[in-house]
Amino acid sequence: MMQKFLAVLKREYKKVVFTWTFVITTFLMPLIASAFIFVPILIFSIEGESTRIAIADLNGNVGARLKDNLSPEKIAEKARQAAKESLSDLSATQDEKMKRSAEQLGGTFTFVPYDPAGKSPEQIQTELRARIAKGELEAFLIIPRDIGARDGEYLYFSRKAGDFVINSTLQDALNEAVRSQRLAEANISEDLLKDLSRKVNFTIKPLTETGEIKEDDSGPWAAFVVAMLIYVVLAIYGQAIMSAIVEEKETRISEVLFSSARPFELMMGKLVGVGLAGLTQLAIWILTVSVFVGFGIASAAASGLEFTLPTITLTMVAYFFLFFLLGYFIFATIYALIGSMVTNMQEGGQFALPPILLLLVGLYFCFAVIRDPNSSFAFWVSVAPFFAPIVMPVRILADTPPFWQIALAVLLNGAAIVGLTWAASRVYRVGMLMYGKRATIPEVWKWIRQS
Amino acid sequence: MEENKVTLKADSITKSFGDFTAVDSLSFEASAGRIFGFLGPNGAGKTTTIRMIVGITVPDDGRIDLFGRKISPALQDRIGYLPEERGLYKKMKVSDQLRYFAALKGVAAKEADKRIDEWLDRMNLSEWKEKKTTDLSKGMQQKVQFIATMLHDPDLLILDEPFSGLDPINVEFMKEVISETKSKDKTIIFSTHMMDTAEKLCDDILLINKSKKVVSGSLREIKESYGKNVVSLRCTGGEEVLADETLAAKVIDHADEREVFLAKGADPQKLLEKLLSAGAQITKFQLIEPSLNDIFIEKIRG
Repeated sequence: MMQKFLAVLKREYKKVVFTWTFVITTFLMPLIASAFIFVPILIFSIEGESTRIAIADLNGNVGARLKDNLSPEKIAEKARQAAKESLSDLSATQDEKMKRSAEQLGGTFTFVPYDPAGKSPEQIQTELRARIAKGELEAFLIIPRDIGARDGEYLYFSRKAGDFVINSTLQDALNEAVRSQRLAEANISEDLLKDLSRKVNFTIKPLTETGEIKEDDSGPWAAFVVAMLIYVVLAIYGQAIMSAIVEEKETRISEVLFSSARPFELMMGKLVGVGLAGLTQLAIWILTVSVFVGFGIASAAASGLEFTLPTITLTMVAYFFLFFLLGYFIFATIYALIGSMVTNMQEGGQFALPPILLLLVGLYFCFAVIRDPNSSFAFWVSVAPFFAPIVMPVRILADTPPFWQIALAVLLNGAAIVGLTWAASRVYRVGMLMYGKRATIPEVWKWIRQS
Repeated sequence: MEENKVTLKADSITKSFGDFTAVDSLSFEASAGRIFGFLGPNGAGKTTTIRMIVGITVPDDGRIDLFGRKISPALQDRIGYLPEERGLYKKMKVSDQLRYFAALKGVAAKEADKRIDEWLDRMNLSEWKEKKTTDLSKGMQQKVQFIATMLHDPDLLILDEPFSGLDPINVEFMKEVISETKSKDKTIIFSTHMMDTAEKLCDDILLINKSKKVVSGSLREIKESYGKNVVSLRCTGGEEVLADETLAAKVIDHADEREVFLAKGADPQKLLEKLLSAGAQITKFQLIEPSLNDIFIEKIRG
């Protein structure tokens, strides 16, 4: 009887893996994922076209400071600083992130000499606008004579007014230049100022449960990648199971199948076959992602950014696959059950929503777990059936819980699988031979209890 | 007929779904080397009975013995079942599809490949071997499915409406294959609504209606038991004689002749006499057996 199970398994595996869709998604997904790492790095390396700017410094002292602040060395220094901050802070708000990425980009300026001596702001404007019209420059800035005045206006005229990178770079540099000049006028030396306003050295020291200092703190982002991977694969392969079952029901193949093998063999062959296909894809993804990440980190390091790789032990990888399998069998049996209830894919699509929501909720729980892996909330969701397969691997990566908790999660989810398989095989046996109409929930309940 | 080797024996099998009894204490026997016609109107319980024979469902009561053993999944490999509702995997190649069905019936891969080539050749489908189901015509798909039914050389062949959707050439061809299978001493169950086909093909008959057996036995004996009570008549005139209900219970007009069902106890000689004396011009007057179709309609209408 084992050979029939194997025959089903082989067919289901080949059916999923030996297709272009599989090849394309398997190799495209890591590319898309790595784009998130590569694109920012690529953008850093693109030097924007230099903006030709004239500075009409009516004050006389700010201009030189501004030029100094806008020197390529200083801009590069700031970009590095910003990149570092954005990586170390995952919870930055969207606004901050936007601003930071602008800072990371930087912008370069070429200064066009201009002497505003003895001219009124109106005259300056007319003159410089004429030069812009001639194409001699792209922008000019008028610095007012009195930088101490509260209503002083710093007018920036630009052909590239939409370039938020240039705008924010200039604005920051100008703010600093003016502040320095004001301080100088108040007789505070630049060195003293630097000394007084330097940032505090804020260092995060993650602790383990035993109070030891952990060497790496990059667990969170790795955990999130893992949660996403599990979510995507479970959603894809759960649906794959459902459509495979609906096809056999729709085409009435189930009638022939049931006259050749036991329904339980057929269902399990299908679940295991598709599951192995999922494992294959996951293994390829993990391999390619780690290669890409390794490469990404190397190139990031080359451009001055520093990463620490999360320490991922073999045990963690084993746990990851174990929880993936638990999750797969939970959701695949749910989808198998749905597939044998409905009559076509459209109906199946409607019923597919609840398990997807369950998966999504699990994914959202991960955020809470990443922030506080040791809360009692994290404990409950990481052992609960349906959620544990996504949440527990994240928790293990973020901060490995005691072994008994992992064992408890395996036990609870294993029990859930046994119960679900038991129910699904009953629904499958009856439902696959019911053509024409969708089974109602009370009917399904009756099948489960009766047979 | 005494030497019949009974291979399939159903002993008062019953199957209910909730309050509805689909099959009600049905008993019958089918023998090797004979074609067993399983007849009945839609919803009579044919499919439910077949599903119990092939082991898809289990009878609530009674038992089915196949080849002298109680029906079990182990016996499924010796049954070939072509269901009325046919289906193949849409995106799978014909060869892969047949290999899969063979594997499910426990045929070794090498042997399966050999048989697949033989059957495809025989069915004139060799050039479609590497094509997907969706590229095949309906008739071809049906032939592919028939091959799938035959690949494991089943000892019990169950065909549910095997000719529906086939053109006359393919119907003849399939009949040949079925006859050949019969000559190999296999047991064949043939389920259909098409009475004239059943009449030509079947050795034994089981007619069921509303979950219960109506008639069973060898086709010959059943027909003989009805006696020759139908007159095949070709004549002009004599309408008033045929209208006499003490003589003719029913008259069915065909294209150029009539079928006259004699009333109970009516004498065919008397009918002939009366027709002649009424001045009818008779070109044909033949006493015949009722057709299976007539028996079917009479039994079902009650």
